[in-house]
Amino acid sequence: MENRDAILTIPDENGSLPPKAPNLSIGQWFRKNLFSTWVNGILTVLGTAAALLMLRGVLNFVFSENRQWDAVRTNARALMTLTYPESQYVRVWVAFGSVVVLAGLSAGIWADWGRLPARRLAGWFMGAAGFLAVCILVREPSVLMDLEGKTIRLPDGSLVRESFASAMTDRANWWAVVALLLIVGGVIWRSDSDKKQLKITQVTYLGIGLGVLSLWVAPYGHYAFTDGTYIADPNSTVAFSTKMPWTVMWIMLAIGFFAGRWLRTSSYLVLAKAGSNLLWLISPVTLYFVILRDPALDYSHVFSTDLPMGLAFGILGACFLWFLTRSDIGEIGRILATAMLGIAIFNWVAAFFGWYPMLQKARISFLLLAVAALLAPNFVGEAAKRRQLLLGWLGTMALVHYLATMINTPSTVELQSTEFLGGLGLTLFVAVFVVLLSFPLGVLLALGRTSKFPIFRILSTSYIEVIRGVPLISVLIFFSVMVPLFLPDGMELAELGAVLTGYTLFSAAYLAENVRGGLQSVTKGQYEAADAIGLTSAQRTGFIVLPQALRVSIPQLVGQVIATFKETSLLAIIGLFDFLRVANSVIPAQSEFMGVKREGILLVAVIYFFFNFVISKYSQRLERRVGLGER
Amino acid sequence: MSIDDATTAVSEKLAGREDMIVCVDVDKFYGDFQALKRVTATIKEGEVAVVCGPSGSGKSTWIRCINRLEVHQGGDIVVDGIELTNDLRNIERIRSEVGMVFQQFNLFPHLTVLDNITLAPIWVRKKPRAEAESMARALLERVGIPEQAEKFPGQLSGGQQQRVAIARSLAMEPRVMLFDEPTSALDPEMIKEVLDVMKELALSGMTMMVVTHEMGFAREVADRIMFMEGGEIVEVGTPEHFFTNPTEDRTKLFLSQIL
Repeated sequence: MENRDAILTIPDENGSLPPKAPNLSIGQWFRKNLFSTWVNGILTVLGTAAALLMLRGVLNFVFSENRQWDAVRTNARALMTLTYPESQYVRVWVAFGSVVVLAGLSAGIWADWGRLPARRLAGWFMGAAGFLAVCILVREPSVLMDLEGKTIRLPDGSLVRESFASAMTDRANWWAVVALLLIVGGVIWRSDSDKKQLKITQVTYLGIGLGVLSLWVAPYGHYAFTDGTYIADPNSTVAFSTKMPWTVMWIMLAIGFFAGRWLRTSSYLVLAKAGSNLLWLISPVTLYFVILRDPALDYSHVFSTDLPMGLAFGILGACFLWFLTRSDIGEIGRILATAMLGIAIFNWVAAFFGWYPMLQKARISFLLLAVAALLAPNFVGEAAKRRQLLLGWLGTMALVHYLATMINTPSTVELQSTEFLGGLGLTLFVAVFVVLLSFPLGVLLALGRTSKFPIFRILSTSYIEVIRGVPLISVLIFFSVMVPLFLPDGMELAELGAVLTGYTLFSAAYLAENVRGGLQSVTKGQYEAADAIGLTSAQRTGFIVLPQALRVSIPQLVGQVIATFKETSLLAIIGLFDFLRVANSVIPAQSEFMGVKREGILLVAVIYFFFNFVISKYSQRLERRVGLGER
Repeated sequence: MSIDDATTAVSEKLAGREDMIVCVDVDKFYGDFQALKRVTATIKEGEVAVVCGPSGSGKSTWIRCINRLEVHQGGDIVVDGIELTNDLRNIERIRSEVGMVFQQFNLFPHLTVLDNITLAPIWVRKKPRAEAESMARALLERVGIPEQAEKFPGQLSGGQQQRVAIARSLAMEPRVMLFDEPTSALDPEMIKEVLDVMKELALSGMTMMVVTHEMGFAREVADRIMFMEGGEIVEVGTPEHFFTNPTEDRTKLFLSQIL
């Protein structure tokens, strides 16, 4: 929003802003907010002391001479992708790079970030400087080491620490950073005599630029393991020395962002928005199953079975749908659509009892065809509308058959364990996939539960109540251990597939309850008004009810997304190596880092926090933005 | 002008017009409670009919039966030649012929004023967006708030919201407009701006059925006034007849209480 501030404080009829409270001086502010009574004064002092002590504890932990950060640094790749083979690591770059480009593109297209008072930016720099200074001051002086790198102890066993003064001089580099931040903040503050507003996009350009530059400055110890010691290469910087070419990633982010900015002003904006949304939707599947897994396509099978089958479904289905959208179709259309639904359901029943063999994607295609046939009455009419349905059908078929073929083909990645991906890669993949899939399912369940048709209501309600009555761990164990026993012969579900299914079904039940809360907040008058202007019930749900319901439930939905992300750590229980498990059991089991656990777990905690903090901040923004129409 | 003259004048105005809304022996029950008792009335094309009566008399229930927001259990309702039955297609056809304005406005708070108005023309009437938008702007001009098109309903006053609601109904180019106590939720100073829009609409020849307590509006604009009590139509007449010489005691009592 370009002029968000202008909307938040609405000028009155004369165009003047409401009067502001007078600014307090720093002393007045302290007296008013922190020391207004003597009880408040004591609480302020105690609270500050507690905060400083905690900060001191954390810093002492992180910088303690007992910490072996090498364990994390050496295992950086294990934490990210576990055993993904070195020879094919370029696939990880491509996958990560695609996400980066897409992120830059979306940020460029969608972001309308408004303006930022220059003084607030200056305040951030100075605040960072102040915080860093406090950190430097409260951390304990370091323990003295002898020439062999061992700690020096007094006869009574206590450690010898350097003096406070020498500690402060040893931390001269950090003081320099504090000074730099202060100078930058001060320059911004002083140069801003007329209280300018900076465009946030400009600040972002600056941030990206600094990010790229920092890679060329930030040192990267390239640690080589020889004869039981690590040798750091002091001369390399992060820019090109890691396995992941961060410089390239930054530049791709910038390219994506500028391309998005350009598209924003071009005439392709609508197309670009739809395209980037679609790419986000299919990216988890394609990145995981196509790019990372690198399926070994058997072309004779592709040309003899997969391709003809996809074409047959596409073309025959299109003819069928074209017939169903004739304007003189009448009741025959409904009968045919119902018959198609019957066939589709029968195929699944047959699969369960093993009556006749059929490829899974054929069953899925039949089901989709039945759904399209049921939707067909909405597209009866002139040729343009009928063509819309046909195009939608052909696109869906192309996507479904392509992905099904890719997923069914074995991977060429040389596996060292049952699952080729682990670490943060697995955590993120599962989280994103589960959220994407469980969202529509949850919305459908919520609509079912509030439906006026008893059968939908009973089915949804019992589903939700059953799932919510069972712990996630048991759902995961059920799906990984029990479900394969129930499947017919010849039908297999990979461990990860089983887990994704179970977790999605679990998460959907919770999402459904959150959405239902939102649905209940939509007043009866909204339904009546939608009916009165002649909307069909599907239009009423899509345009009037759901947007309002989802808006109301944003805080709970985001809470659910965060919970889903964090609870992926339960994947460890059924044998997958997620991020936390790598830090908790893989690294401490290495001979050179036997039992070194805390460093990795702290890092994992920080990364979890980072992601969830970003999600949470974004949702606050979203709430503020969609709250516009309320009031 | 005597009562008989006035009645004749109205009959002359409406003579030869088509029947727009025909209700025959309409019954409506809430459980054991009978909200409408054999309500029978015919509203002609271009007629402005005001329905009044004490609260709980069934007037809102009746008007809401006409576009099927409430389901009647007995009798027939025919709107513009289409009979209101359980057939969904008939209901959809009637709803796109009949506009409705609610006491609580019921604008869509998440859409701008313009989107509120263009939603149904685009998705129900299948108009191109540009055409729907230019019509919406013309309608906003007509109800006197062209400058509010880009705002959200929550940023408007009650009177402005109700005028947007009228524009939203008109955007479907309805043949009949139903008003369910359109001014009851408004502050007194905003009532007039809404009534002015309704008067203009009446003069343009729109068939209107208005449930209201605004007797000034009824006297000035209505062709006929129907008085309801206890789920029945007690008295029907021209405004002159109704205000100067009502025949029923219940009507007299009601008028003495509100005038």
